[in-house]
Amino acid sequence: LSVRFAAGKILGALATLAFVLVFNFFLFRVVESNPVATLYRGRNLTDAQRDELTRQFGLEGSKLEQFWRYLEQTLQLNLGRSYATNQPVVDEIWAAAPQTVALVGVATVLSMVFGILMGISAGWRRGTARDRLLTSGSMTTWSTPDFWLGMILLTFFAVRLGLFPTGGIEDPASNATGLERRLDQLWHMALPCLTLALAYVGEFALVMRSSILDVMREDYLTLARAKGLRDSQVRDRHAVRNALLPSTALIAINFGFVLSGAIAVETVFSWPGLGLLTYESLRGPDLPMLQGLFLVFSAAVIVFNLIAELAYPFLDPRVRHK
Amino acid sequence: VKPVKLLVVTALVVLAALGLTAGATAQSDDDRVVLTVGLTQDLDSPNVTVGELVSSYELWNLQFATLTDKAAADFATEPGLAESYASDDGKTWTYTLREGLEWSDGTPLTAEDVAYTINRARDEEWLNHTATVANLTAEATDARTVVITSKVDDPKLPTMDVYIVPKHVYEDISADEIGNYPALDGVASGPFSLKEWKKGQFWRMESNPSFWRGQVAIDEVIFRVFRNADAMVAALKSGEIDAAHNVPAASFPELETTEGIVAVQGEQGGFDYLVLNSYAGKPPRDTSKFDAPHPALLDLRFRQAIAHAINKETLVERVLSGLGTPGTAMSPSANPAWIPVLSAEDDYEFDLAKANQILDDAGYADSNGDGIREHEGENIVLRYAIRSESEYSKPYAEFITGWLEEIGIDSTFSTYDDGQLIEVAGRGDFDLYVWGWTPFVDPDPMLSYFQCSQVSVDASDFSNYYNDTGICDPAYDAMYTQQNTELDPEQRQSIVHDMLTRFYKGAGYIVLATSPDLQAYRTDRFEGWVRQPAEIGPVLFSNSSPSYWNLTPIEGGGSEGGLSSSAIVALALAGAIGLALVGWYLVRRRTVEERE
Repeated sequence: LSVRFAAGKILGALATLAFVLVFNFFLFRVVESNPVATLYRGRNLTDAQRDELTRQFGLEGSKLEQFWRYLEQTLQLNLGRSYATNQPVVDEIWAAAPQTVALVGVATVLSMVFGILMGISAGWRRGTARDRLLTSGSMTTWSTPDFWLGMILLTFFAVRLGLFPTGGIEDPASNATGLERRLDQLWHMALPCLTLALAYVGEFALVMRSSILDVMREDYLTLARAKGLRDSQVRDRHAVRNALLPSTALIAINFGFVLSGAIAVETVFSWPGLGLLTYESLRGPDLPMLQGLFLVFSAAVIVFNLIAELAYPFLDPRVRHK
Repeated sequence: VKPVKLLVVTALVVLAALGLTAGATAQSDDDRVVLTVGLTQDLDSPNVTVGELVSSYELWNLQFATLTDKAAADFATEPGLAESYASDDGKTWTYTLREGLEWSDGTPLTAEDVAYTINRARDEEWLNHTATVANLTAEATDARTVVITSKVDDPKLPTMDVYIVPKHVYEDISADEIGNYPALDGVASGPFSLKEWKKGQFWRMESNPSFWRGQVAIDEVIFRVFRNADAMVAALKSGEIDAAHNVPAASFPELETTEGIVAVQGEQGGFDYLVLNSYAGKPPRDTSKFDAPHPALLDLRFRQAIAHAINKETLVERVLSGLGTPGTAMSPSANPAWIPVLSAEDDYEFDLAKANQILDDAGYADSNGDGIREHEGENIVLRYAIRSESEYSKPYAEFITGWLEEIGIDSTFSTYDDGQLIEVAGRGDFDLYVWGWTPFVDPDPMLSYFQCSQVSVDASDFSNYYNDTGICDPAYDAMYTQQNTELDPEQRQSIVHDMLTRFYKGAGYIVLATSPDLQAYRTDRFEGWVRQPAEIGPVLFSNSSPSYWNLTPIEGGGSEGGLSSSAIVALALAGAIGLALVGWYLVRRRTVEERE
């Protein structure tokens, strides 16, 4: 692994990030809108109050001036103020991020583990009843719209059975602290997490299944069998290890989407994370908030892609030697 | 690794963990009486100088008592923190506070707090106070007496519904900082005080033992924010919440027929209107920067024909699914007594033949027989603006333009979000659109919006206006000034009725329907829900929120939170099935290995 290789990848990522930064500004300034007028319709505002609000939202001056100010501020990690709450965008994103990382992170790990196991199991026994069941099952949950799946689970488990709460992250009436509070949060997380896991699991299962099918034609499996290894040993020691490589890239990219991946599901379950923040901001539209969120989401994808690219040579010596 | 086995074991571990957590949660109930209200809008700010959303007003209604209260039935002014008030000339009012008033933190609540709030709010132009206090000066002459003097004759007095803030908390906050004050101090004079606000999730209020009506029967109110209105309805049905505000229209009929749930269409003056751009050159504006309405709209007869072509009953039935009532004159107040009763002669009833007749008589003929009438030789095509942010905007447009077509008027559509539409309307770049208003209790603000001075003429700021119809009627303005200084309530109401009838006849602003607040509550846990105003109003988010201090818990009322017995059975069943599956799998597996 050469320094040049790593430097090239890092520079590429930085260039992409810079492009996103510029694009992001103009994307959101295309929409002409006056938040002061929208927010304060029906209010007796003095002209001084109006000017002050316009200044607070950073909307005075020409587009170019606004752009320089935006660049300057963004580099200082200041993403502006939300039109909707008048709070710094960074604070709002920072406050919502942990909930999303917990929810989508757990769902991604669950679906990754289950999906890969399902893919191995289905691919190795291609064409059997088990393969058909796992493949069609994961295709079904993968192609189902996640907000719809969420509503179905909510109606069945929360309303019909009363097993889980209908939304939120904790019971507001409870004074519980420590472990008890964490358990309550887990209980609230169960349904949205299940929804997301069901939605994601198919992707992992199908990718893993097809890479298992790819390696099954390889000579080294024939050799392994010729050595007299048991079927499960051939699978675990030779097939799975090689077939995992394509999944690694998928996993890395999926972690990049952990931050942005759950807009619909967070909304269905009133889960106070970045997805819900995005949905709320779209309704405004709260442009500075959207601008900040898009920047953070893009940055996350770029960073995890970079990690995947840098890690790949360690996992696959063939890339290293090319 | 044996994939399938691992799968099953992991699934079981997850299931067991969930079962455990559910069990743990089921035990956390206690004896507090908690009212949980579901809503779809979070607070914007608990700070009375900043917040402006309906949800924030509900918080302040509970946290802050006011000098005078509003009657639940008809908003009549009643004693609040002040037990009495009197005036000799209608400009200077003396309020006597109740004895022994205290803030929730034990600090005495005195005339000083009242005078401090009024004077500071006036000087610093606090957002939610300015309209009431702009002309007032307050002086605390002793601990229980406040003298409030108005610079002008003000018919709104003695009503003093500004939120009085605790001086001992606010005097430490400078004018520069007050906009950023988080206002989580929880010092209350009303029935509840704010204890906790989890942004985007809920806010929690505890009862205030020092409330002047005495401690209320509820220990805690929790306002839970749902981002998914259907989930809120589900939570109401499952008993997770006791009441819900802003129920989606699609769920309303179902809730109306659900046993144990009462669904409420709460009217408090809100309405949808069709505006016709009728700006006729007064007051003058820079024509190079503004757009003009279609010239036919400046003809009263043309507008009257449109008014006759709108079937409000059909709009309520088909667009609003029957939720609302057909509009008449504009409602300037939450109190329907301010709406004039229109005589049959003044009323523009739905009659397409009559509308066509008016247009024929006025000379708008369809000379080329294409179905569209002409104005100065050109087909009449009106620019109809649609609001992307309202689900009703498109269906309204479809019905309205359908009727217009039947009287020979064509339309084109443009769609805008609300921010854009404010500017588009300010620039006069439209002929028609539908929007809505929700008025305050006093009719003054709503009436003030249609003066000549509120027509958009400021080319540097197209949002600096209220009068979107653009009609400038000096007679209306004169009546506005008159009602604004008329101290006799009956006289004032009569002037307002005349104004509104005149405004209606101008046919620039066609009220289509009322827009009620859709709410629902469970009947098994609390009783004493109060509608404000009586019979037609909402039970929550009303003008002074009387329900909360009226509610009492029903003994042995339905359970809250935790697990139902059917749920426990289901969990146990799921666990048993899981275990059986694993057992079967392991046994089968072993025999396979043996066979191998």
